[in-house]
Amino acid sequence: MNMTWTEQSETARMGAGQSETARAGGGRPGEGADRPALPVLQLVGVSKRFDDFTAVDDISLDIREGEFLTIVGPSGSGKTTLLRMLAGLEQPSEGNITLRGTLINDLPARRRPTCLVFQSLALFPHMTVGRNIEFPLKAKGVSAAERKARALELLRMVRLPEAYYGKNVMTCSGGERQRVALARAFAYDPDVLFFDEPLSALDYKLKKLLEKELKDLHKETGKTFVYITHSLEEAMVMSDRIGVMRAGKLVQVGSPDAIYGQPQNRFVAEFVGEVNVIGVTLSNGAWLSQETAEPVRLVLPQTMAGAERAAVVIRPEYMKFLAAPGDADNVVSGRVYNEYSLGSRIQYQVRAGERVFLIEMSRSQIRPGTGDGEVLIGWNAEDAIVVEA
Amino acid sequence: MDRSRPRRSHLMIWIWTIFVAVAIYLPVACGALAGLSKGRYFLFPIRAYSFEWWQKTLDSLEIQRIVQTSILIALIVTVVSLVLGFFGALAFARFDWRGRRLYQKLLLLPIFFPQPVLGLALLLWFNTLGIQPSWHTAIVAHLVWIVPVVTLVIAIQVYGFDPAMEEAAADLGAGRWMILRDVTLPILWPGIWSGALFAFLLSWGNFPLSLYTAGADSTIPKWLYSKMVAGYTPMVPALGTMSTLAAATLLLAGGAIAGFVKARRAR
Repeated sequence: MNMTWTEQSETARMGAGQSETARAGGGRPGEGADRPALPVLQLVGVSKRFDDFTAVDDISLDIREGEFLTIVGPSGSGKTTLLRMLAGLEQPSEGNITLRGTLINDLPARRRPTCLVFQSLALFPHMTVGRNIEFPLKAKGVSAAERKARALELLRMVRLPEAYYGKNVMTCSGGERQRVALARAFAYDPDVLFFDEPLSALDYKLKKLLEKELKDLHKETGKTFVYITHSLEEAMVMSDRIGVMRAGKLVQVGSPDAIYGQPQNRFVAEFVGEVNVIGVTLSNGAWLSQETAEPVRLVLPQTMAGAERAAVVIRPEYMKFLAAPGDADNVVSGRVYNEYSLGSRIQYQVRAGERVFLIEMSRSQIRPGTGDGEVLIGWNAEDAIVVEA
Repeated sequence: MDRSRPRRSHLMIWIWTIFVAVAIYLPVACGALAGLSKGRYFLFPIRAYSFEWWQKTLDSLEIQRIVQTSILIALIVTVVSLVLGFFGALAFARFDWRGRRLYQKLLLLPIFFPQPVLGLALLLWFNTLGIQPSWHTAIVAHLVWIVPVVTLVIAIQVYGFDPAMEEAAADLGAGRWMILRDVTLPILWPGIWSGALFAFLLSWGNFPLSLYTAGADSTIPKWLYSKMVAGYTPMVPALGTMSTLAAATLLLAGGAIAGFVKARRAR
């Protein structure tokens, strides 16, 4: 499937006879497995300022050929601005963006071999599905017959019936529109596809389905995908690598496993999911928690060299209810405040003074009552992660 | 439960609708009847009906000339105000720039000026600049009042236009001209179309501005007024009726074309 696609797209590109200036060099995965992977897009010290507001702050990042990279961050973290600079819709205030070694800071979007799928999808409401998909081909000057053949092929690729060719795009459902937007982007035959949260408006079930289809399409086409979202869950499902953004800065870039398993700081850890984070300070050689009613001495898996402050991250599934104080390295006493069903698992909220702890366990385990009695909870040192405060 | 209530309010709606329709259209109908009177003078009830005055109106060379002038003025005003209004609307509805709000208010103000005052002011200006008033100057006067209206009408359409659409088109490889032709214009088309109808009809029916600024040239409303003041013939209501019918026909045709295009796109 991968080979077929590459061949088809090469023919389409040659037939289109479009300017190849921006496409110079570079290799596709599979073509040169022995060569070191050259970044398809590279950002060096890129910043973007609007008046006195810095949306993107000194970001350096290599986007690898053929990878599925997701940039995730809360709204206002600058991820959309970053994507718009990569697509050529904004110019960086500082720094350089290169495409396979060529500086493209000022290259307009229409001359870049990249294509952005907008959050609103930006489908043309006055055109049929077919004419929407053919739009980039028309811009390249492809003949009408060839355009139609390609559009039908793309409809099949995004799993839409060919009869949709003549359908009014505004009468399509949300999921169908996603597919049309995707087909239109593929019709441009870009080397890199950008996605600006296109799935955010869909219902949960459809979203899950399309996430997987998108990952399948990534595999089938071998193109580079750069996706942005505020949902780490979405990022985890699809990505080869994830970059976490906060206030214009790229906080951490790594594989989903690395982001989940070794968050670099408190922000990433809390962004990854519901976790227990305890701020600790070093006092006379001992790490004391600062967020419980009275300071508790904690046993940590490792300490941070030179740091006076740190944060301890304990995932809810590693917290346990204890029968005796000696059953775990770190022990806190509190009261069960509430319980929440998470499907196959159950989450407990335990309060120790003002401090809230979350504990998750499977339904099959023996569960405590939610009465007023004191319970002991705790965790072992090796189940915690120490991160920057 | 009082079941008669919805029916009663339904009845009230109907009575009100008919009242409004009669209040608006009865005078127009009377004017039309006056043009069909055989007599020389405006008398009710009309004793004998004939198309005599309609025929005379259609045959009159003077009237042919003023109709031509009116059409020419309206057409030029339509084209110029569409161009100015289109780009003006894009400027204030799309882009955020310093002074945008002030521009918006300054643009709207002429709509609320009393038109005779506006006409008089323009006439004084033309005199100061040494320009002989004619139908050319009337075009300028009409534009001062109509461009803001057209800009507003088109701006309403621009407000509902997602700028991401143009960005997407550019991102997909389209140049400026293709974006304008294939994306912006077709999407803003309904606004441009109603702007054009507004421009033509407002110019067609305008009296105060033409009175002051058209000089020796006459337009239909100006001719109607001058004949009412001195030299009434039933050609006045006849031409008035024709003018109204022409405007109504244009409006209906415009609506029909817009509906047709919409239906074709919806397929």
